[in-house]
Amino acid sequence: MTVIDPTPEEVRKRGGEREVLLDLQNISLAFGGVKAITNISFNIRKGEIRAIIGPNGAGKTSMLNVINGFYQPQEGVITFNGQKRSSMKPHLAVSQGIARTFQNVALFKGMSTLDNIMAGRATRMKRNMFWQMLYWGPAQQEEIEHRKKVEEIIDFLEIQHIRRTPVGTLPYGLQKRVELARALAMEPELLLLDEPMAGMNLEEKEDMSRFILDANDQLGTTIALIEHDMGVVMDLSDRVVVLDYGRKIADGVPEEVQSNQEVIDAYLGLSH
Amino acid sequence: MFYRTSGQFKTTYESDQALFPIKQDMVLLVVILAVMYVIFPMFASEFTYKALLVPVLIYSLASLGLNILTGYAGQLSLGTAGFMGVGAYACYKITTIFPEVNIIIALFLSGFFSAAVGVAFGLPSLRIKGFYLAIATLASQFFLVWLFEKWAWLYNYNSSGAIEVRTMDIFGLVVTGPNASPMVQYYFVLGIVSVVTLAVINLTRGRYGRTWKAVRDMDIAAELVGINLMRAKLSAFAVSSYIVGIAGALMVFFWKGAAEPNLFDIPMSFQIVFIAIIGGLGSVMGNFLGAILILALPVVLSLLPELLGLSIGSATMEHVNVMVVGSLIIMFLIVEPHGLARFWALIREKLIIWPFPH
Repeated sequence: MTVIDPTPEEVRKRGGEREVLLDLQNISLAFGGVKAITNISFNIRKGEIRAIIGPNGAGKTSMLNVINGFYQPQEGVITFNGQKRSSMKPHLAVSQGIARTFQNVALFKGMSTLDNIMAGRATRMKRNMFWQMLYWGPAQQEEIEHRKKVEEIIDFLEIQHIRRTPVGTLPYGLQKRVELARALAMEPELLLLDEPMAGMNLEEKEDMSRFILDANDQLGTTIALIEHDMGVVMDLSDRVVVLDYGRKIADGVPEEVQSNQEVIDAYLGLSH
Repeated sequence: MFYRTSGQFKTTYESDQALFPIKQDMVLLVVILAVMYVIFPMFASEFTYKALLVPVLIYSLASLGLNILTGYAGQLSLGTAGFMGVGAYACYKITTIFPEVNIIIALFLSGFFSAAVGVAFGLPSLRIKGFYLAIATLASQFFLVWLFEKWAWLYNYNSSGAIEVRTMDIFGLVVTGPNASPMVQYYFVLGIVSVVTLAVINLTRGRYGRTWKAVRDMDIAAELVGINLMRAKLSAFAVSSYIVGIAGALMVFFWKGAAEPNLFDIPMSFQIVFIAIIGGLGSVMGNFLGAILILALPVVLSLLPELLGLSIGSATMEHVNVMVVGSLIIMFLIVEPHGLARFWALIREKLIIWPFPH
């Protein structure tokens, strides 16, 4: 039996001609004498899944930290949504529409799944302390309004059964999913995923892949993805940027990157 | 059996987020409130008010304030007594400068002074965490007590250096000073504690509670979901010190009647920290349970031999008291390190599924 796989181009329209959401120009970042990122430029287009890959210590996570304002690059220009960015703080990045998940799960361990996801909407809730103390009235309405949104996300990620469970007691795969839910609750334009599939088994990886594709497809979220599972990266992403030792060594559609000699050398090592 | 939840269905988010998702909880609370508001005043003597009921309420309130800061927002503080002092002195100054001001208004205004002082001493929390922050708040404790002693304006240049509460009334009903009836004072304190507790419950189950808990559990992640850390921490300091300040003012005006600076010294700070920890950090009810264990139990124990007809010297009884309460504290902390509130939560969960454990 022969199965003819449709090429990715046929399955989905490539993001190549869409407008640019985030543009990074000549970014350099150093900690003292250690150069984490050297002169990297690339862009992320609206609605695409953009993978950032590279061997360990290549500067991928630093790159995400620069994007969401956790690190200030010493050099370079970042343009988000057509706006040039000056100094940046993480909570400001959130209000502009950038959300992220972490390599190591960064959930609020003492809180339930529901509260964790609700916390993702903290910046969208506006009622002041006076109304919060009264609770009944406007604050309750606001709470219910946001609860509805949160429940949609809970349905979307199929985590209804753990709504009331403290996240500290959940298995790792579910924690990752709750973290994704919290990020989606922020209704981001750009979602940064730092190794969403690290430490998962095949089934969990397939689930997570499905959620990422659905978030991209149904919610229209632009996604930047760091991942070490090459199968996942090549299947999910529209374009891939490859970093090594803080430099960009390749950028393009998965097929191009896969056949790039420099990338192969970076991953497999070079005989000298 | 008593805690069966079958048949209680939630059809709206409103009912799912209700204060008492389970009907039995509400019944329990109504019973407790009825005992507090109706049954106790029917039987209580002056001694019961002064030694048991009022102190437990006031310390619960102070511990509730501390719990917002330490239990919810995760910022360790050892300066509680100092902030209580600020509330008490502020209330004293307000009632002497503006004698016609209603004591209720003065009380709630004095909270703002302690909140401001709390925010000022909370500023280090933006840079330091944990034990280092505890030491920084300890500085506030020493500084404030020193200030109460040295700044004569605070106690109106009184030769004794103490503040004394004059007689004040609300619409003709005497509430403070030596002539006030203990029952009136008890009702007053109970009313204030009830209102503040309800406000705190509402705060902690809403946006602010989630923000504080997020900062406590992982501050970096909190920042990256868009929470302004500075605002979250300082709001916790402000709300916490506000409540603690009111507790301090209540303590002087409705219980002690007079206060010297050393009342607000470090042993009281520690006592309130103990109440919060034994009651359960991050819980509202725990504060009340903790205060009952630490304050009410010794009083009840010391009355016990008399009731049983045993003749034990009061000095001996005091030693026995310390031993019993001390070992109880150790026992509770071993059985449930997360405090009495968690202990109750576990019992409640067991009761809900009892008698079928699955």
